[in-house]
Amino acid sequence: MGIALRHISKRFGSQVALDDVSLELERGERVALVGENGAGKSSLMNVLYGLYAADAGDIALDGAPVRIRTPADALARGIGMVHQHFTLVRTLSVAENVVLGNEPTRGGLLDLPRAIAEVQATCRRFGFELDPRARVDALTVGSQQKVEIVKALHRGVSTLILDEPTAVLTPQEADELFAVTRKLADEGLTVVLISHKLREVLSFATRIAVMRRGKKVAEVKPADATPESLAALMVGARTPPPPPPASTPGEVVVALERVTAGRLKEVSLEVRAGEVLGIAGVDGNGQRELAEVLTGLRRVEAGALRLAGEGRPLTPRQARALGVAHVPEDRLHHGIVTDFTVAENVSLGRHRLAPFAKGALIDFAGRLGRTSALLESHDVRPREPGLRMGALSGGNQQKLVVGRELDAAPKLLVAVQPTRGLDLAAVDAVRARLLDFRAKGGAVVLVSLDLDEVLALSDRVVVLYEGRVTGGFARAAFDERVLGRRMLGVRDA
Amino acid sequence: MRETLRAALPSVASIVTSLLVCFVAVAVLRGGLEVALDAFLAMTWGAFGDFPKFFDGASSAVLLRPLGESATKAALLTLTGLSVAVAFRVGLFNIGAQGQLVVGALAAAVVGAAVELPAVAHLTLSLLAAAGAGALYALGPALLKRYRGVHEVISTIMLNWVAVSLVENWLVTGPLRAVTSGDNSIAGTAQIHDSAALPRLVGDVSRLNAGILLAVLAAVVLWLWLSRFTGGFEWRAIGANPAAAEASGMNVGRSFVSAMLVSGALAGLAGAVLILGTEQRYPATIGAPYGFDGIAMALIGNGHPLGVLASSLLFGGLRAGGTRMQLFGVHKSFPELIQGLALLLVAARLVWLKLSAKVLPPKGGA
Repeated sequence: MGIALRHISKRFGSQVALDDVSLELERGERVALVGENGAGKSSLMNVLYGLYAADAGDIALDGAPVRIRTPADALARGIGMVHQHFTLVRTLSVAENVVLGNEPTRGGLLDLPRAIAEVQATCRRFGFELDPRARVDALTVGSQQKVEIVKALHRGVSTLILDEPTAVLTPQEADELFAVTRKLADEGLTVVLISHKLREVLSFATRIAVMRRGKKVAEVKPADATPESLAALMVGARTPPPPPPASTPGEVVVALERVTAGRLKEVSLEVRAGEVLGIAGVDGNGQRELAEVLTGLRRVEAGALRLAGEGRPLTPRQARALGVAHVPEDRLHHGIVTDFTVAENVSLGRHRLAPFAKGALIDFAGRLGRTSALLESHDVRPREPGLRMGALSGGNQQKLVVGRELDAAPKLLVAVQPTRGLDLAAVDAVRARLLDFRAKGGAVVLVSLDLDEVLALSDRVVVLYEGRVTGGFARAAFDERVLGRRMLGVRDA
Repeated sequence: MRETLRAALPSVASIVTSLLVCFVAVAVLRGGLEVALDAFLAMTWGAFGDFPKFFDGASSAVLLRPLGESATKAALLTLTGLSVAVAFRVGLFNIGAQGQLVVGALAAAVVGAAVELPAVAHLTLSLLAAAGAGALYALGPALLKRYRGVHEVISTIMLNWVAVSLVENWLVTGPLRAVTSGDNSIAGTAQIHDSAALPRLVGDVSRLNAGILLAVLAAVVLWLWLSRFTGGFEWRAIGANPAAAEASGMNVGRSFVSAMLVSGALAGLAGAVLILGTEQRYPATIGAPYGFDGIAMALIGNGHPLGVLASSLLFGGLRAGGTRMQLFGVHKSFPELIQGLALLLVAARLVWLKLSAKVLPPKGGA
């Protein structure tokens, strides 16, 4: 007996995150959940851990239905989860972190000696080598992850969910993690591993569930699977998107030569006027760094970046002056100022230029006129330039950002996840704007985790894996399976 | 207009509430509503002019004298308040207004006493010296912030004590101490020349001096800068969302430095107004923590230059009038209690905004 998730569905607004997913977890099993970004792996586990409330479906524990509304409920039923981003108090000791929320007390105060003894006992029992007195911020990332696991085990969990646990680990730390978890599973712990690293999944799991777009599409045994077969299941057989009208690429707008910057390693590529270059890859493989280099937000460490034939941009201001526009990944953080009015946000970036300024003064009339025109032409609602930006819906905020960036008549548009979190109408509107810009001779770098989007809009696609280019494809050569393999670092046979 | 009202509402509500609470407190502790009413009226007349006496036929001095005291205090509060507020608007918390005020005051006292110049030139030079000294004193924390990421709260608060110790424990009692004559040993610097003094506006009747004009001017200039100039727009954008400001091409680090320089200059000017308007020399100690009061004014004024001016005029007045409450057995620092309570309530901004959303529903709505 174990845990059964039955017919779970979950929507976020108009987006379907989980569509009638059922999954059973037997005691002592090592189950891997694989799928692309946004396939629903984490959502499903967040439902089990009480972070999300399912819209439909139920959870049964040893055959009896249970309601899990909060992580505390989940912990009480023996379900623990270690998130990709740690939830440790860095300035506290290991023991304090482990007992946090469940502290042994004496006279209303923390009984630290007892906490240390308890944590020591837990570490010994499960074979973790950790000093309960060490401060968490003095530990390596791998040890911090062990603290997270010990924290769950200390609560007496019988099911442990690990969300992308190796994303932050070195290969040696990852090996150690799997050795420890395997041993725990042998002792009866149920382990769920969320990952898109197919090799580790194949070597660790006893059963693999593949998710795609909110549905569970397959369950396989590792013995019956290869990295290629899993990649194919994850990506699925897609209907090829209708191609945008062919373009005739013009001169090179931006060229990178062996550029290294942060996670980005020796990347060479070029983008021409009148084409969309799609950047495909699993999250965290250097796409963000690439966008930051192109927009001047990140310094090039080695290699050369040439923009419109001129030297590389050093600051965002210089990049803008050279004709680079940016639709940032994190709209609220980098794209807009929510406390400013819509008109003020439209002027951001061009606030010192006509029609937004007259000399050193703000040109209120010019700003209002340009904003009203932009709200009209990009169908942003409501059409109120004086409204607080934060009062607009996400889709309208994004339409405004795209409109603002294109209004500056750039040569190159760097669009990162431009349609994430938008409803379908807004998605179509934003995509139409990008293609429209391309048709008028603009160059677009489109970074998206949504492979469908990349394939639908791009003239060429470059795949990034671990910061390096692992493939370049012209539209005629688009093949989801090949692309999918390259995205996962699987070499061609 | 509606948005301005909504923004001012938390501050106004906080001040009214704290006045009411303190009124009740006086009534309870001093034996009755009547006493409380008398005490509050005395404070009001002491703050804004004794109108009942004036209409009974007393000379205009009963109006001008209290107004002079209020304006003197309000000028200091306004300048330090603006100092803190301008740093606020770019997202910095300048706790160092007190230290910047001290070095500004010293610069004004030294230039006012040591140099001989025609009236207008001498006053201007003294003011500039004070503003420059204050700005220079803020430059260190600004550069540390820009190039080393040192948090400005830490650096400015530590420099406060450095300034006070250097100036009051050494310079004013040591090298810069006025020459003593006979047994008359006085701490503090030499008396400034009349040419450096801020002119009195209504003769000898009242201490009302041009400092308040300077403060009002500073508030209006700062308001225009923030609301009408593209440079002020950048400061506000950086304060509201530094990441978006940087992504849109603004030089965040440089704006940090320039705003801190303006902040320090305003605090330095406050020091000058204290010396050139009231003290006429740097005394043994400044004593009153006008720089820290500036934090309260900036917060109650919601970071808006005109809001800072309004709250400084009010609290400057209440503090000047507070002395008259002593007649009713209320300690003269009572207005500071009102100010502290108002500050506490302003900090509960979210509560007020929720309430105000009911009174004045926002347009459009999310």
